[in-house]
Amino acid sequence: MIDFVVYTLIFPGFASAFFAGFIYYGILRKVTAHMQHRIGPPVWQPFLDFVKLLAKENITPDDSTGFVMTLCPIVSFASLMTVLVFIPFNGYALVSFSGSILIVIYLLVMASAFIAIAGFATGNPFGKIGSVRELTQLIAYEFPFIVSLLTIGFLTNFKVSPFVALQFPFAFVAFVAGMQGKFSLPPFHIPEAEQEIVAGPFTEYSGPRLAMFELAKAASFWVLISLGSVMFMGASNIFAFFINSFVLLFAVMVMRAVFARLRIQQAFRLYWFVIAPLAIIDFVRVLTGLYW
Amino acid sequence: MNEFYIPFGPQHPALIEPVHIKLKVDGEKIVDSELVLGYNHKGIEKSFENRWWAKGMYLSERVCGICGHYHTSCFAQGVENLLDLEIPERAKYIRVIIGEIERIHSHMLALGIVAYELGLDTLFHYIFRDRELAMETQELLTGNRVHFVMNVIGGVRKDIETKYFNLVEKNMERLDNRLHEYLKIFKTDTAIRKRITHIGYLSRRKAKELTPVGPNIRASGIKYDVRESGYLVYDNLGFKAVTGEGGDVLERCVVRIKECLESVRLIEDALVKIPKGEISKSVPLLLKIPEGRETVSRVEAPRGELIYYLKSAGDKPYRVKIRTPTYQTFTIINEILRGYEIPDVPVIIASLDPCLSCTDRLTIVDLNTERERVVSGDDIRRRETL
Repeated sequence: MIDFVVYTLIFPGFASAFFAGFIYYGILRKVTAHMQHRIGPPVWQPFLDFVKLLAKENITPDDSTGFVMTLCPIVSFASLMTVLVFIPFNGYALVSFSGSILIVIYLLVMASAFIAIAGFATGNPFGKIGSVRELTQLIAYEFPFIVSLLTIGFLTNFKVSPFVALQFPFAFVAFVAGMQGKFSLPPFHIPEAEQEIVAGPFTEYSGPRLAMFELAKAASFWVLISLGSVMFMGASNIFAFFINSFVLLFAVMVMRAVFARLRIQQAFRLYWFVIAPLAIIDFVRVLTGLYW
Repeated sequence: MNEFYIPFGPQHPALIEPVHIKLKVDGEKIVDSELVLGYNHKGIEKSFENRWWAKGMYLSERVCGICGHYHTSCFAQGVENLLDLEIPERAKYIRVIIGEIERIHSHMLALGIVAYELGLDTLFHYIFRDRELAMETQELLTGNRVHFVMNVIGGVRKDIETKYFNLVEKNMERLDNRLHEYLKIFKTDTAIRKRITHIGYLSRRKAKELTPVGPNIRASGIKYDVRESGYLVYDNLGFKAVTGEGGDVLERCVVRIKECLESVRLIEDALVKIPKGEISKSVPLLLKIPEGRETVSRVEAPRGELIYYLKSAGDKPYRVKIRTPTYQTFTIINEILRGYEIPDVPVIIASLDPCLSCTDRLTIVDLNTERERVVSGDDIRRRETL
């Protein structure tokens, strides 16, 4: 029982997602700032933003559906938190059964899909276009992302468990690219392109609801980076886990610093005609046993 | 998906200028666009009429925060025309040097904003970091970073000191290196090229019809640069206008970088050739210019040809008409937006480098909202509609 409480509420559950997610995001901002030759905000800035947003007014525009607007960030956050019970930290997962990868895939899609629904619910033209882009991008990155997870799944009995994917570099590339798409970070920050559509689905969001989305975003950093460091980089203890996490985080930062935003068609083409074939190569190798 | 309107501005994160563009979109494709102006009316032209000639200099500096030096140059040149006054050679050189530094920082600002609109923050920050070199040089020579009020009627206010020439040259050398780097980045980086080649295309024929000015028309292959006429000392310095062939966003960026390189060369050349001597002719503070005398003065500002029309009413102007370069940009906005997609809009607009705060005025609002008159190219060329 105490195990369960610690696992869900402290590590790797809610508190970890809250702190580590925001700290990851803070580090990301700080290091990218240094790459861009500026000082950048302090590492704890995302916390301050979160607390500030909680204290702000909750504005519901006339054209919007307030109930859906409130629901979306909560569902998005909840589905991300649920993923955590399947990920073995320190070699132990709360729920572990053959086929848990499929549930993880489903929950990760939910997290993105509810962002899109949120955009439609706000009734703002920028929100609508952002949602369309979010869904288009979801279709684009989900295929290589799923293939890369299933590649590893064939070897781990479709269970999320530590695995060193040294033999499957292409699957790892597809995973990182899909992760970047899920984070909506460059070059795939198309749904939230501030220069084009203000904030995309989040345009009309304010106050606690926006804070919930910020929290969901922080949680997605924690969840996806943890998933990558366990499933692809084989973190079986906590020390290796954090080293792997920071390596992944650094990859995300570099991509954020060096890429320009793609157009949605270009992103689609990149995912389906470049990254997906790479992922399929490794998938076929697994199916045919052509690995050592 | 149905067609619907997307507002672009007047408050928009991409373009911090008071302009409103109504975009009629079908999905992501732009079907039509409508320009709505009039959010920023400063009444500067009218204010000129209540000031002495000498005080008009301070007002014209405030027309624009970026190309203020060109506005004073143009105004002063006009008043000097009215007085039939030839300014000292050294003053001409100083006007050119300060102006070209200002051109570098204006062009680099435009390039940085294009990078920012592309979602490439890193390049944006790098360009703005290097733009500081130009800003520092301005501060070194004039004492101010912006609004350096270097011009007075009959010459310049302040001499540039020889002891700083070394530093200026060093800064220019560094800028030259960095600009070559940016030229390479814009020409070769795949992620950038993917976004800006064949986007916002303005053909040579359309450019001739709609007459934008400055780098926008030169990128479409038309060699139109007031500096070619050799005003001030541009003919002594052997100025060569930069033109490009592509007519797209990439070409406009490349033309701007090449112009910066040309400016660096001009400054280095001018620092060597600058003669010694006085820096201004003394003119009375209360100028009297015979009533009814009029003139048109033009200079090549960073964004293109800047025109001042002046008519005298004795000790004050009777009328001052400013034709800023951005006014000519309005004619092509619809032409180059149609058919492209929402992600291209900010990039295209940034590549035109519009400066609304100098251009916006009341008369245009009348045309667009109340009377809805079509402004033909001929009208604009004759400047009747203003």
